[in-house]
Amino acid sequence: MIELNATFFAQILNFLILVAILRAVAYKPVVRMLKEREDKIAESIQKADADAAAAEATLNEYKNQLKDAHAKAQEIVDKAEKRAREEHEASIQATKQEIEQMRKAAQEEIQRDRERAVEQLKDEFGALAMAAAGKIIAKNMDAKENEAIIGEFIDQLDSKKIGDLSC
Amino acid sequence: MSEGIIHRGFTQVGGFTFNAETLTMTWLAMAIVILIGFLATRNLKLVPSGWQNVVEMIVTWLHGQIDAMMGKRGRMLAPLIVTLFMFLLVSNLLGLIPTLASPTNDLNTTLGLALMIVVMVHVLGLYFKGGHYIAHFFQPFAPFVIINAIEEIAKPITLAFRLFGNILAGEILIIVLLKLMPVWMPIPSVVWLMFSIFISCVHAVIFTMLSMAYLANALKEEEE
Repeated sequence: MIELNATFFAQILNFLILVAILRAVAYKPVVRMLKEREDKIAESIQKADADAAAAEATLNEYKNQLKDAHAKAQEIVDKAEKRAREEHEASIQATKQEIEQMRKAAQEEIQRDRERAVEQLKDEFGALAMAAAGKIIAKNMDAKENEAIIGEFIDQLDSKKIGDLSC
Repeated sequence: MSEGIIHRGFTQVGGFTFNAETLTMTWLAMAIVILIGFLATRNLKLVPSGWQNVVEMIVTWLHGQIDAMMGKRGRMLAPLIVTLFMFLLVSNLLGLIPTLASPTNDLNTTLGLALMIVVMVHVLGLYFKGGHYIAHFFQPFAPFVIINAIEEIAKPITLAFRLFGNILAGEILIIVLLKLMPVWMPIPSVVWLMFSIFISCVHAVIFTMLSMAYLANALKEEEE
């Protein structure tokens, strides 16, 4: 049983052959595959990093654009508000002016009416006084003299009585 | 004592004697190992699945062990070590199948492998470290060369006889138990068979790990 012979060398040779075969058939492909995967993972990580950086840059760009857009929109709104306010002011001003004008016109008209009424009243008053005087005196008096007397009378009346009348 | 319980069938080829059974079983074991290696790595994909995970795990683990024990130089020995382990495991288990025998139940096989490893250790040690390697046998002082020499001689002998003894004993006891026990009492045989499976695995691991340790001695960079 414990006996060494040429099998000894045959076994060493057998084993070395086995190592060579297994190395070629099984070990090399596995190692190559592991290396390939390692490379691929490294590459993927690198790519992912690059992608993340690019995405970050794009995001920043968009943010800036959005900020600009906001600022611009705010500006536009401000401008529109300002213009609206100005228009509003202007329209109020115009309305006020119009009212003022209307008020003035009305006052003038009232003044005119009043003057006209005073004038009319004066005339009527004159005619009335004359008729009254004619009836009372019932005499032939010079018409011109009469008119002068009446005019004087009315003028006095005018300043003393009618002038203070508020029409 | 060449014909006992174990029959080897001697063959004469050109004046050399070969153990026909051992050689046949070795070739069978080699065929199985190559088949396993081929099947396990036949369809490698970048995204692993199934057996590929196991194969990758083994290779990665082995690389880790080698890097830790031997440094980067050890990587070139990885195929040798993985082959050694697979061959020993298959060889040891082969003997447990009835009518088959382990190639490792023959001292020619175990001593052949052990001597090959030890010769490799010295050759690689001389190649990588040169005179420094020879000098380390004379440390801490010259007379230690005797103790170191005994140790170096003991390495292949213990390596070879440990494996040979365990496997041969296992096989002999399987045969003996089958002959001793009546047919209706299979329990001792089954128990021993289970134990033999365990022993086969353990000794494949031990032989491989010790080989790695010896090789590491020769390859490791000096911590200077």
